[in-house]
Amino acid sequence: MANAIASLLLLRFGCDAMIEMKKIRKSFGSNDVIKDVSFTLKGGEICALLGENGAGKSTLMNILGGVHQMDSGAVLVGGKEVVFKTPGQSQAAGIAFIHQELNLINDLPIYENMFLGRELKTKRGSLDLEKMQQETAAIFKQMNVDLEPGMMVRDLDASYKQIIEICRAMMTNASFIIMDEPTTSLTDQEIERVFKMMKTLREHQVGIIFISHKLNEVMQVCDRYLVLRDGNLVAKGNVAEVNTNDLARFMVGHEVRTESLKREKFIGKEFLRAEGLTNSPFFKEISFSIKEGEIVGFTGLLGDGRSELFQSIFGAEKMMAGKMFLHDEEINIRSTQQAIKAGIAYLPRNRKENAIIKDMDIIENASIVTWPAFSKKGTINRRQHQATFEEQRKALRIKMGELTDRITSLSGGNQQKVILAKWLAAKPKLFILDNPTQGVDVGAKEDIYDIIMKLAEEKIAIIVLSSEANEIIRLCDRAFVMYHGVIQGEVAGETMNEHAIMSLATGGQLPFAKGGMNKDETEPGSCS
Amino acid sequence: MKPSLDHVPKNSKRNFFQWFKYKWSNDPLFSIAVALIIMIILQTLVLGFDYDSFGSWFQAWTNNWINILRNNAATAIVALGMTFVIMTGGIDLAVGSTLVVTGALSMMLLDTGTKGFLVAAGITGVPAFIITILVVLLFGYLLGSLIGVSITKGKVPPFIATLGAMMIFRSVTQHFMQGYNPKVPAEFLQIASFKIGNFMIMPIIYWAIIALILYYVSKRTTFGRQIIAVGSNERAAKLSGIHVEKVKLRVYALMGLLVSIAAIIQVSRIGSMDFSNAGRGMEMDAIAAAVVGGTNMMGGRGFILGTVYGMLIIAVMNNLLNLFGVPPFLREAFKGVIVIAAVLLQKKEKSS
Repeated sequence: MANAIASLLLLRFGCDAMIEMKKIRKSFGSNDVIKDVSFTLKGGEICALLGENGAGKSTLMNILGGVHQMDSGAVLVGGKEVVFKTPGQSQAAGIAFIHQELNLINDLPIYENMFLGRELKTKRGSLDLEKMQQETAAIFKQMNVDLEPGMMVRDLDASYKQIIEICRAMMTNASFIIMDEPTTSLTDQEIERVFKMMKTLREHQVGIIFISHKLNEVMQVCDRYLVLRDGNLVAKGNVAEVNTNDLARFMVGHEVRTESLKREKFIGKEFLRAEGLTNSPFFKEISFSIKEGEIVGFTGLLGDGRSELFQSIFGAEKMMAGKMFLHDEEINIRSTQQAIKAGIAYLPRNRKENAIIKDMDIIENASIVTWPAFSKKGTINRRQHQATFEEQRKALRIKMGELTDRITSLSGGNQQKVILAKWLAAKPKLFILDNPTQGVDVGAKEDIYDIIMKLAEEKIAIIVLSSEANEIIRLCDRAFVMYHGVIQGEVAGETMNEHAIMSLATGGQLPFAKGGMNKDETEPGSCS
Repeated sequence: MKPSLDHVPKNSKRNFFQWFKYKWSNDPLFSIAVALIIMIILQTLVLGFDYDSFGSWFQAWTNNWINILRNNAATAIVALGMTFVIMTGGIDLAVGSTLVVTGALSMMLLDTGTKGFLVAAGITGVPAFIITILVVLLFGYLLGSLIGVSITKGKVPPFIATLGAMMIFRSVTQHFMQGYNPKVPAEFLQIASFKIGNFMIMPIIYWAIIALILYYVSKRTTFGRQIIAVGSNERAAKLSGIHVEKVKLRVYALMGLLVSIAAIIQVSRIGSMDFSNAGRGMEMDAIAAAVVGGTNMMGGRGFILGTVYGMLIIAVMNNLLNLFGVPPFLREAFKGVIVIAAVLLQKKEKSS
């Protein structure tokens, strides 16, 4: 009944397109991911959906996109209740979901990509290339896109690929578009192009949900915002009434544990100094230094270039320019072997792709770095490896069966500890840990923190790369925040807090006044 | 998948079937060994027991086996190298052509006629043999390195690089060897046909020695284990400080070296070489042996012992087909069936 009145009201105001999500709940197992979230999206507005990793943004959108099914609640499109069991049903209702990984085929021309899966055919059953080209050209004209339909997708900029996805959505008469972090891999110029496109869509009365971590962009292009934290909708309102600091505060909340871990500090002399390291487009003009026994953090958002930076420092990727000094002596690292010889260890992110060798057993995975060191005339000294690993196993509290079990038989946390063990066997002087607690359970996480603290006490210089501000704050003495391949700022002591990090990571500056915390966390504006 | 050791403790002799089941599902070489044993029993049965005495039966049986092993020794040695190549995730199609190049070189060096290099330099006899062997081995090593460099530095996919090398090596050899028929000194043939007791088993001994060395290399040395690491996860290997390019380069160089050994065995066994046909299909036989022996074509998994088993299975099957009187043209089909059946039999990798 209420729905009928609502839609009548809508009709009166000439605003027929509208999505309502009411009291949505969703849990995976015992984990409540979405807890009672309601919101409304109208046609012709751009709404930002904000939140930290794991806040539930993707799950909520996947429910709307028909990828997941909600446990309870209701979705209304244009006032009518709908149930999406498949992505196809969601599309049929006029909702297009543009995922972060684009679904385009590089080796086909634009127009064939536009009709992927619903190709136009002639009566004889062959592809109607001409008609597909014409229709593509028509939609490009309507959307003010200056592209030749016959071009290969491979030859296009990332931004144009995004635009083609949007046009494809328009071609299926979508009245709502969900864009999941569309700008992460784009340059500023390309972002501008996508924004222009989004504004055109707004003029065509299309409603857009824009998921992004970049608060500046939100300020620039969005009309409204929604902030999720731990599955709850914690703030919503008009973008015009807030600034990026407010949004960052909404996202982080106040209940996070930020006390730093304690250790006895033995800070020695400078170990490594980097000057003007560059490998564009990943990172530019990076300069920093680290002392023995110091723990330095590097943080930022996805695509900030920190992993690429340290893979280049470690010699796994090339370095275009810049100098490095080890104990004040210039050093040129061109391969991972040289880096290891110089006393540098690198625990990579994405353990499965970068660290685990699944065809080898636990002891071999734990000793691979020291094979050359612990061998005589090329024959591996297995006793020495076993003795070394046995020590590490106790110190790291690795839970495992036999040494010759497969590495994949271990849990994520124990796998990570084995990878730590292989580097500790090499006795590094600088240990770079890239996302050391990725895919690791809480207990193992604390174990790994303990190890890091112990290593620092042994005067090993430690660099921690993490996208979790909390982790950086708890572990590090100071931290660099990166944004688009450059160091946006350095935080330490008082300034090392989540708000400062979030502000720098989204391209802003260090907030000067710390008094901003006292401001009431009211929810400015309201959306329905 | 964690192998569950709960119900069958190690070294348990409680129950043969339990032991068999455990080995079958946990030891990747077990099913291959079982298949080989079954084929050997079958072959023995087919050979029959229609002899005057046990002695004469045993002699016939042994002679049959020596023939099988000797005829396959050269390909078997190449298959051992191929195992390493495939373990890195690569492939070498050029082995047959490399065999012809190195074979041709050895014959040119040894030729007793006027064109022979060493004869012209006044070197004959044993010193000539030693120089020939060293030069040919070095040449094979260099050809392999050349392929390796194009794959590692030039980033040419192994299939393409070795396909190209396959065409180049044979064609160049055929061009330069047309109308030239080098004669190999009879003493040189002793390398393969020297008799120990009454048996002409030198090629088998070479095969056994090389297999033992490579078994040790694959199990116990840095190089051997790095091959597995590179083939299983190249990125992780690189990030663990392994010089991935060096490992690959050395694998192809080793392949070239082994092929040149096979070439010397072939030349000294027959005393001549048919440059247009020798080694044709050798790459496929070597790949087949490795695959039957449990080597994963995607890299990361392979067994020297498995390849020996694989070669024996194929060889015994050829012998069986011969004994059964299967027409020659049909024999390849059986080989194909064996290769596919072997892979079907092997324990499938469970995704974890």
